[in-house]
Amino acid sequence: MMNIEVKTKKSRSVYDDAVEKGFNRRDFMKFCTTMAAFMGLSASGVTAVAKALEEKSRPAVIWMHFQECTCCSESFIRSSHPMVADLLLDNISLNYTETLQAPSGHAAEKSLHETMENHFGEYILLVEGSVPTGDMASCCCIGGKTAEQILNEVAEGAAAIVAWGSCASNGCVQAAKPNPTQATPIHKVIKNKTIIKVPGCPPIGEVMAGVIVHMLTFERLPELDSTGRPKAFYSRRVHDTCYRRPNYDAGLFVETFDDPNAKKGYCLYKVGCRGPVTYNACGVTRWNDGTSFPIQSGHGCIGCSEANYWDNGPFYSHLAEFPGFGIESNADKIGLAAAGITAAGLTAHAVITNIRKRKIIKEGVAEGKYGLEPKENESQEKTE
Amino acid sequence: MAIQPALHTTQLRRVFVFSLSVRLFHWINALSIFVLAVTGYLIGNPPALLTSQEAYQGYWFGITRFIHFIFAYIFLFNFVIRIYRLFFGNRFETWRNFIPSNKGFFREIWQVVRTDFLFTRGHLVSIGHNALAGISYLFLFILMILQIITGFGIYAAMSDAVIVDLFNWVVPIFGGDAATRLWHHIFMWGFVVFTLIHIYLVFYHDYVDGRGEVSSIFGGWKFVESDTMKEQDTTDYNK
Amino acid sequence: MADRLVIDPITRIEGHLRVEVEVQDGKVVDAYSSGTMVRLIEEIVKGRDPRDIWAFVGRVCGVCTTVHSLASVRSVENALGIKIPPNAELVRNLMFCTQYIHDHVVHFYHLHALDWVDIVSATKADPLKTSEIAESISNYPKSSPKYFADLQKRLNGFISSGQLGIFANGYWGHPAYKLPPEINLIGVAHYLDALEWQKEIVKVHAIFGGKNPHPNYLVGGMACAINVDEANAINAERLAMVGQLLRQAKDFVNQVYVPDVLAVAPHYFDWASIGGGLSNYLSYGDLPTNGYNDPSSFKFPRGAILNRDLSKVHEVDPTDPSQIQEYVKHSWYSYTEGDDKGKFPWDGETKMNFTGPEPPYDQLNVEDKYSWVKTPRWKGNPMEVGPLSRMLVGYALGKDEFTKAVDGALKYLGVPAEALFSTLGRTAARALETQLVANWALEFYDQLILNIKNGDERMANMELWEPESWPDLAKGVGTTEAPRGALAHWSVIKERKIENYQLIVPSTWNSSPRDAAGQRSAYEEALLNTPVENPEQPVEILRTIHSFDPCMACAVH
Ligand code: HEM
Ligand code: HEM
Ligand code: NFV
Ligand code: SF4
Ligand code: SF4
Ligand code: F3S
Ligand SMILES: [Mg+2]
Repeated sequence: MMNIEVKTKKSRSVYDDAVEKGFNRRDFMKFCTTMAAFMGLSASGVTAVAKALEEKSRPAVIWMHFQECTCCSESFIRSSHPMVADLLLDNISLNYTETLQAPSGHAAEKSLHETMENHFGEYILLVEGSVPTGDMASCCCIGGKTAEQILNEVAEGAAAIVAWGSCASNGCVQAAKPNPTQATPIHKVIKNKTIIKVPGCPPIGEVMAGVIVHMLTFERLPELDSTGRPKAFYSRRVHDTCYRRPNYDAGLFVETFDDPNAKKGYCLYKVGCRGPVTYNACGVTRWNDGTSFPIQSGHGCIGCSEANYWDNGPFYSHLAEFPGFGIESNADKIGLAAAGITAAGLTAHAVITNIRKRKIIKEGVAEGKYGLEPKENESQEKTE
Repeated sequence: MAIQPALHTTQLRRVFVFSLSVRLFHWINALSIFVLAVTGYLIGNPPALLTSQEAYQGYWFGITRFIHFIFAYIFLFNFVIRIYRLFFGNRFETWRNFIPSNKGFFREIWQVVRTDFLFTRGHLVSIGHNALAGISYLFLFILMILQIITGFGIYAAMSDAVIVDLFNWVVPIFGGDAATRLWHHIFMWGFVVFTLIHIYLVFYHDYVDGRGEVSSIFGGWKFVESDTMKEQDTTDYNK
Repeated sequence: MADRLVIDPITRIEGHLRVEVEVQDGKVVDAYSSGTMVRLIEEIVKGRDPRDIWAFVGRVCGVCTTVHSLASVRSVENALGIKIPPNAELVRNLMFCTQYIHDHVVHFYHLHALDWVDIVSATKADPLKTSEIAESISNYPKSSPKYFADLQKRLNGFISSGQLGIFANGYWGHPAYKLPPEINLIGVAHYLDALEWQKEIVKVHAIFGGKNPHPNYLVGGMACAINVDEANAINAERLAMVGQLLRQAKDFVNQVYVPDVLAVAPHYFDWASIGGGLSNYLSYGDLPTNGYNDPSSFKFPRGAILNRDLSKVHEVDPTDPSQIQEYVKHSWYSYTEGDDKGKFPWDGETKMNFTGPEPPYDQLNVEDKYSWVKTPRWKGNPMEVGPLSRMLVGYALGKDEFTKAVDGALKYLGVPAEALFSTLGRTAARALETQLVANWALEFYDQLILNIKNGDERMANMELWEPESWPDLAKGVGTTEAPRGALAHWSVIKERKIENYQLIVPSTWNSSPRDAAGQRSAYEEALLNTPVENPEQPVEILRTIHSFDPCMACAVH
């Protein structure tokens, strides 16, 4: 549905550029020799340099950091396939990311602006963190500018935009009630572009790398679902791929942590597992090179890839807190109370009716009900 | 404000108000709501049964859900038939009985409120259900729609059936599966409250109106004062 | 007149840090540190279920992931009087140790190393000579000439592609870089090796907590049930994996991290007298061997040092309102009773009051409020927290493992004890404590195995799980030693909900603005007298700042 092509203009090499500018092969080799000498390489090194310069260039990538905890970056570097070192050295040119880049201050900003200018319309923009807006825009500033200003500028020339994690996709913890900083997911700031949402707190490292690799390998955006998430990783609920599912269907539940059922690995539904309402690849891809995932380690899913998951708590009960009624009020408690009040009201009504019945019946008779005598009627009522 | 007793006599006539399809709808609906509420409640609060089994030895929770989904379909199609009847049913069955469309409707609501809450005897106009009951059924129909869309909305994650796919739009509107599910659960209590009031009031009106209210949803007939009837009431349906 | 030099963003840290310094005659004469991003998590957790808070505050930081969750469950358990089973304590300790090893290694190679290692110079190294040096300092297997030659080829290809990515516009060739090309090449090699290895050690978190970053915690213990006869629980296979990962980690620390730090240090001895900063050090201590309620059993001892006086370690009590106060005189908040007085966290407040310049801005108004970080004080003193503080407190208390590690390193490098109070000392302390922690991790692991062997499979105490069993009002403190230093969470639980929740985080201590009395905090003090050769390439400032391992998401929260 959303198979937008990533522009491929970026894959020109330094050699292509040189030819375009009127240099010939000999000039190019001479340049390579100088480069090699500068780097202290022997004659054989010249071919390595020439080869590198002839290869198509790696797509430029900008990674912005806003209101975040940086666990998305951390998760990204956990990816095992591809490994991040390979991605960074061979596949992409990550020109800006405050977490890892060598230069600071002006020099860092230079990296950013060079990329924005030289690769306008070509670079991939990755955004980690939410953006405080409105009166609260000053809650995140970099180099004296607000996150909102920066995001608007940098999104302009992006060929593709990825929202990393729940922060950029749905605001995450800082957007939980009462959202004091007006933290906003990026699709509500950048409205005129497709945004690939990769929610999760954080998303699985391999999923993050997988989204990038998808774009590089197939040269198009991954297919997205109706809310903008790549179908490849977010089309199934954790519950649908959970290995504890047979216990769920059999009605075998952990009643409380560390009980005999927990020790047998029963389903965590009754201690609040959000697997049935959470779309993520945890059950399949698992975490940290397939080592485990929350449920496998005995804790329910808390729904970390779902919008508003912080406000769907408390985490340890299946039923959320009833909206607006505070902790310890769930739908069943409120519902039962409502039913109780109704029943009480009806009982009161029945009692009053019974007290008033003589009059009502009189009126009914007065309207001329056929063949009814007040006395007879009264005795009939009593037996009711 | 008491109404003056005035002696006059009236004749009761049999009026056919609810066709078989509406009566069937009513009882299938009542049954499926009952089953859905019980199974739904169990889905939300599974009791600790058979706690030391192996998973392959049991499937009770799966069966509970299965029953819920079977009755969900029955509930849906039954409702569809009723909706058809809202447009092509008899005079007492069409949508006009549920949607306040004229002054008379509001006047009647007031009448019924007086009967129900001020315990005064008003003059009933409607032959089918009264205007206040009509409103309450309208609320019920809306509740049913909400329950169907939220139910099929969450069900969309578990099924690729064409009917279910029609509900793919629901979950994003409610703000995610968790919220949709919560609302679905909350709405269950709406049915509980409706049913309590409804059953009570049906019996109450059977008693105060004396028109054979309760029996009408079984046999289809009511017994109505002939002087409150218009000619067509007797000609059209009093067969 | 001094020149104002602004560095924003400071990179290779977690989060958004801005530093403004006054430079005169090539030296920093004054400094201001500002945290420029806030989320106000302390307000967001109010009114919520105390058992959920670990998840919220865990998201304060994904770099020092787990530590806030740990402090939070401890704070709630402390308030409600919940005692956790010994196995849960051991598992928490193992997660703690894992976090240290991971965080410190990543900090050194990926956040700090480029201040000392010149990547471009590495292209000029002789692989043979590199191998010789590598083999002389460590028995790490990946040290052959071939290994370094291959790596260098890859580096050459990368650099000559003209697309330097994260290394573009670095300060390469700056005269402050002093390492020979061969050691630079070793640095590059281990940058990549560490990147590959770090994703392994965190699997310990995945096993016990389901994932990393942000593994799961549980009030009352841990959720990972033990059952040695069940595939669905912590069993022999899971434990074997933990053991293997911990041993690998220990090897990596001993064969790569520590030797590298010791090999780099001699080229930068000038940094043993720069960046000392404050002379007060604070540690809450951690790694209980007899439960959290017995601080005397902690592997990292608790205590405070004032004026670099190692002959006296002061007692620290995080529940004592007269000891810890937080100020907002220069922070963008306001206190109901005015901004001049400090507040003890149980009565703490977090009300935003941004008075900074309208963005985009060039300079902060440092006379007034200038940071989202609050300013904590211990008995009125600004304190440094972190690896150096922990090592100093252990050293001053004469704890065997600490004195051995510290004296050993001083002797190896041939420097006096004063060298500890510096940028270099901080960086070395971090490496040394990683070595200790890697050893302890295996002790905790053995203890866990022993407990299970003896039939103790308890992992959580659920007796006080239900809110009905809680008092109407409860107050608790949860402390830990996060990788960056002393961390505490103060909670007030009223009618089964969070009434107030305050965090004072290591980077809050270190990166805070001045207090009401005008005293500088650790970063600001440490930057004084730092040389700045070229204001366009302020690598010296980065060295000192990075030696603290800033985490600004933590600092502000
Ligand atoms: C009167 C009508 C209904 C009532 C009272 C009812 C009630 C409930 C309740 C209380 C739950 C448990 C929710 C929770 O706590 O998670 C539930 C679950 C569910 N209901 Fe209904 N429901 C009704 C109709 C429907 C319909 C029409 C559908 C359509 C398919 C449906 C589908 C579902 C589904 C899919 C679940 C979740 C089951 C699972 O994930 O295992 N329900 N229902
Ligand atoms: C789940 C339980 C029930 C539900 C949801 C329900 C719902 C309804 C609805 C929607 C109508 C309007 C029918 C129409 O015109 O389409 C209705 C009418 C009626 N129901 Fe029920 N009903 C329930 C149970 C009962 C029970 C247990 C009784 C009797 C014992 C009953 C008696 C009646 C009667 C008499 C009417 C016609 C009243 C009138 O039109 O004034 N219902 N009910
Ligand atoms: N400062 C800080 Fe942390 C640490 N270590 C936590 O408490 O980094 Ni994010
Ligand atoms: S989405 Fe979660 S993991 Fe990622 S930065 Fe935000 S809080 Fe951290
Ligand atoms: S543990 Fe959670 S995801 Fe797994 S089957 Fe149970 S409810 Fe579903
Ligand atoms: S909590 Fe998050 S990590 Fe997966 S299992 Fe649930 S989506
Ligand atoms: Mg705080």
